[in-house]
Amino acid sequence: MTTPIQHSTPESSPTAAEPKFGTGVRAARFVVGLLGAGIAGYGLLGLPTQLGPAQLLGLLFWLACGVVLHDGILVPLTSLAGAGLNRFTFGLGSASAAVLRGALMVGAMLSLLTGILVRAQSVARNTSVLEMDYLAHLAWLWLALALGAAAVIYLLERRAGRFARAGFSQQNTRP
Amino acid sequence: MNRLTDALAAKFASPVRSTRLSVVLGRWLGLTFTVCFATGLFSHGLQNPPGWMFFPTRPVWIYQLTQGVHITSGIASIPLLFAKLWSVYPELLSWPPVRSVVHAVERGSIALFVSASLLQVLTGLINTYKWYPWPFPFRETHYWLSWVVWGSLLLHIAVKLPLIAANWRRAREPANPESTTTVPAAAELTAPDPGGQQQMRSGRGTAGAVSRRWSRRGFLAAVGVTTGTVVLGTAGQSFAWLSPVNFFAPRKMGTGPASVPVNRTAADAKVGPLAQNPGWTLKVSYRGKSRSLTLSELAALPQTEHQLPIACVEGWSQSARWRGVRIRDLVQAMGAVPESDLLVTSLEPEGAYRLMTMPAVYTADEKTLVALELNGEVLDLDHGYPARIIAPGRPGVLQTKWLQSLEIL
Repeated sequence: MTTPIQHSTPESSPTAAEPKFGTGVRAARFVVGLLGAGIAGYGLLGLPTQLGPAQLLGLLFWLACGVVLHDGILVPLTSLAGAGLNRFTFGLGSASAAVLRGALMVGAMLSLLTGILVRAQSVARNTSVLEMDYLAHLAWLWLALALGAAAVIYLLERRAGRFARAGFSQQNTRP
Repeated sequence: MNRLTDALAAKFASPVRSTRLSVVLGRWLGLTFTVCFATGLFSHGLQNPPGWMFFPTRPVWIYQLTQGVHITSGIASIPLLFAKLWSVYPELLSWPPVRSVVHAVERGSIALFVSASLLQVLTGLINTYKWYPWPFPFRETHYWLSWVVWGSLLLHIAVKLPLIAANWRRAREPANPESTTTVPAAAELTAPDPGGQQQMRSGRGTAGAVSRRWSRRGFLAAVGVTTGTVVLGTAGQSFAWLSPVNFFAPRKMGTGPASVPVNRTAADAKVGPLAQNPGWTLKVSYRGKSRSLTLSELAALPQTEHQLPIACVEGWSQSARWRGVRIRDLVQAMGAVPESDLLVTSLEPEGAYRLMTMPAVYTADEKTLVALELNGEVLDLDHGYPARIIAPGRPGVLQTKWLQSLEIL
């Protein structure tokens, strides 16, 4: 990064977009905000009526863990993966790259879901719950995604004529 | 510190991470959260009815629909929530973290909103797997957190209303022919924005990378396809027409004894010997009078057959043929009016659903049965042998199995 970073105006600052709203919008904003705070407060006050101190502490721990796992691990990892992908897809057209990224997003989401399903299978007990072979289904999904994405990318690239040019990967390299 | 957050912001900067993207994703997520909240409250109201609660019995699949929609919209919220949080991630790194008391309150409310939302959708999902790895009771926590999440959603909308309104105004202006490819989108994103509404989240100067990244619309399409795939792959547990593509749901239709899945087995309920006792009778009582009916006496009464779905709070459902005695006939035989509340007791020695109160509207309904048969077979022990309740439009946990007594209130 050669240019210095300039922070964009924070969205929440009054100068960002406060302006030109009539009293109607301001009143609506106030009412919705107050209503929201009241409803959220109702939920927060309701929790200790049915959860004991140890359960509330457990809940707080789980709330914090969710944010740490998501913000500290999941997003940085997916962002890194996305950045790494740039190095592999620079020869492709933008539509093809989007198809590839879309296929990876579908696969990643269903892999996460399958991971939880398989873990639950090893601990949950019941006769007619979690009966399916989810890993096999996931494998088929990845196969379908790979074939589908490859076919669409092939068609897109052929239409764009990139296959016709020799050494296309050099022609679309980074500036 | 500024240099560090600048460097981090630059790492996570992307023209796709724009206010407009957040507004569009927020619209989708606001819809799924609201549908999920409304259907969840309906289910909660059926199980813990306030005085004003209404109990619709038609269409008979009403609860199958609302609870299927509840679980499905909750599952759809997972990729949408991930995408929404991804779109605003650089906000997390903004520096200084707190600029004023109001800003601190706003960030605190967002922290609560984000953490409660993540926990709500993920524990909701895992609950449908009948797996409870957390140290708090699911049902109560899920209920109260739903108020926290939806209230925080309204508060968040109020705080961000100027940005949301600005994007709506912008959307109503004559549309730019925006291609689905990244290049025009990149041009749009890097062009000076007169209203300042099309903000790219922290970190400028990445325009050179734009052509190799995807556009906002490409990203939204991918999020839409991901959400659609997750929904299609799981909603077949609730909706029969999607069952052929049910590959990732915890339940599937047509399994279990008599082709109907089981939630709580006789072994779980520790009810086997009691239910299989040859001397079993169903005690029906009203104003001090009582009558005990043996299984053969029940079977000798006029039998009625109905096609009714059984729909569980965990979202799965199964339509089936139920045959048995109309409960209104039993109530009338005791000299009571059919429009009577009932207290139904199961043989289960313990459990949250051992006792069930049936509001009069279900008692009076001609489709509410003391069922003795399911899909042409004598009830399986796991389905509630020797007799169970089946009523239209009620949550599965209230379709009491292994009946012991009916008290007309």
